[in-house]
Amino acid sequence: MATVEAIKLHKRYHDFVALDDVTLRAESGQLVTLLGPSGCGKSTTLRCLAGFLDPEGGDITLDGESILKLPSNRRGFGVVFQNYALFPHMTVAENIGYGLRLQKCPKPDMARRVGEAVDLVRLNGLEDRLPRQISGGQQQRVALARALVMKPRLLLLDEPLANLDARLRDEVRWLIRDLQQQSGITAFYVTHDQSEAMAMSDMVAVMKAGRVAQFATPREIYQKPVERYVADFTGEANFLACQSVAEQGSGQYRIEAGGTVLTVAGVQGLNGRAELLVRPETLRLAAPDEAADFNGRIVKCAFVGASQLCEIALPDGGTLKLTAAPNTPVHVGDAAAVVMDRAQAWLMPEVAP
Amino acid sequence: MSAAGATFGSGRSVGLGFSLLIVALYVFLLMPLVTIVGASFTSGLMIEFPPQGFSLQWYQEFLSRKDLVDGLLMSLRVAAITAVVTTVIAVMAALAGQAMAGRMAGWFHLGMTLPLLVPELLTAVGLLFFLYKIGLGKTVLGLQFGHILMAFPYAYVSITAALRQVPPSLEEASSSMGATGWQTFRLVILPLVMPGVAMGAIFAFINSFDLYTISLLLKPIGGNTLPLALFDFLTYEFKPTAAAAATLSILLSLVGVVLVQRLVGLQRAF
Ligand SMILES: Nc1ncnc2c1ncn2[C@@H]1O[C@H](COP(=O)(O)OP(=O)(O)O)[C@@H](O)[C@H]1O
Ligand SMILES: [Mg+2]
Repeated sequence: MATVEAIKLHKRYHDFVALDDVTLRAESGQLVTLLGPSGCGKSTTLRCLAGFLDPEGGDITLDGESILKLPSNRRGFGVVFQNYALFPHMTVAENIGYGLRLQKCPKPDMARRVGEAVDLVRLNGLEDRLPRQISGGQQQRVALARALVMKPRLLLLDEPLANLDARLRDEVRWLIRDLQQQSGITAFYVTHDQSEAMAMSDMVAVMKAGRVAQFATPREIYQKPVERYVADFTGEANFLACQSVAEQGSGQYRIEAGGTVLTVAGVQGLNGRAELLVRPETLRLAAPDEAADFNGRIVKCAFVGASQLCEIALPDGGTLKLTAAPNTPVHVGDAAAVVMDRAQAWLMPEVAP
Repeated sequence: MSAAGATFGSGRSVGLGFSLLIVALYVFLLMPLVTIVGASFTSGLMIEFPPQGFSLQWYQEFLSRKDLVDGLLMSLRVAAITAVVTTVIAVMAALAGQAMAGRMAGWFHLGMTLPLLVPELLTAVGLLFFLYKIGLGKTVLGLQFGHILMAFPYAYVSITAALRQVPPSLEEASSSMGATGWQTFRLVILPLVMPGVAMGAIFAFINSFDLYTISLLLKPIGGNTLPLALFDFLTYEFKPTAAAAATLSILLSLVGVVLVQRLVGLQRAF
């Protein structure tokens, strides 16, 4: 449908810099997620895209043409708000038909399109209810239908699932992804939930204090983060400090971490101190005669049903979290030998330069 | 909610004392009303409470007094115009205030409610000079001007309070679907703030209907509003005719309130 680019956006609120050089790109039909903790500038970015805010610097383009000068009511973008922003005095059908009514869409045509949208989000039978007479999940689907019925060039969603309980969240998440893919609409999606971001997105932008820390595919964000912040925000992680690393060929390093010397992949051009990222699921307790990568002592363990969560202290002061099979005998204080999938370890700087 | 319930439920004596306080408050608030309405039906010759017997003679007398009836009609006309004009201006002002940010909004709000802070008499004197300067001294238009000025803050405050209840995201949602500012106002904002607008109009009407000092100084030559006419009347004759006039104006105000509420009640609000 449309390729959308945000180029070097800058936005200030008085002296507070909310966006600093934010560059993003959504190819036609892609869903791009803005992921980051509260206050990092996700909503500000989205509001600039929607035209509710004017950035002080940078540009926003749609298929290569700047749309910065277009006011929000002429951008033709669909927006889904965290609080849904349904019109409380209009019925479900009136809410969904609002944009068509503004376009002076003929009555029968409008009724048909509203009907299709109602089918799409499975709200049949609720057309004549007011927003306060339906549940939160249903309100969310009205908001979605209201945005989609306009066949927008770009769909913008600001934490659309934040106010739903866990079960509904799952359901609506897949509904959003399905509808977005069926209609091929380009979309930006804001969330602070990493699993939501991973599962739905073609691309993820991890934001950090008004900047984009990393913009890449979910797999790359998770497995090859550019700095500790990104690794931390995208899932459970162990970090082992490495005092001095030297590159051996492009992106390959020979390091010492947790009392073991290893060769691992990592961010290019590192030297001096670095951090080794080891995801818990790439670790396991060694079988009796197996060669171990790390040797340490169990300092914590907890049985959680499907597995046991263990924390292992290493001789150099580092710790490793990992999960063990539910019936493996593990006790606090025991020695533990740990095997790592070396291909999945990743070396990166504490803070990207 | 449970905390409040616990406080009220924690001991009979508190509950009883509280109820008595409420009753006392109601008596205090309603006493003048009851007295005046009661006195208007007396068959005696004095304003007194409890009334003696029952008759409608003082209503008859009121309707036959041209000065009082003229005063009533003038008050009604001025109050109606005040209500309409004030409400329209106050809606515009409240929207402007809403669009401002931070400190600016604070100053604007203060400015709009300033007539509440200045004593009515001073406003009246100031206005009198001003109106003479622009050639409107002692005219109906000048009087109207004064009434609108005095009623404005009430309407403004009521409408501003209603506007604050409308989440800004509704405007943004409307705009993102292609609405112009005017369309958003007419289709989204106005229906939602209608109860506040109606309250503003009612406040403006009642305030104008009640105004004394301003009217006294600004009244046109040969014209009187009802409060002025009643005061003149009471200076010479302490007859229940005044009570009948007061009762009638209370009734008219009530009709106005109910009418506006009916109109608004038909709207679907929150
Ligand atoms: N209207 C505003 N005025 C001043 N500061 C604001 C305003 N809106 C947002 N901010 C600040 O800008 C930062 C980014 O906000 P936002 O984009 O809403 O973050 P996010 O959506 O990632 O939680 C926050 O620190 C917030 O306090
Ligand atoms: Mg936000």
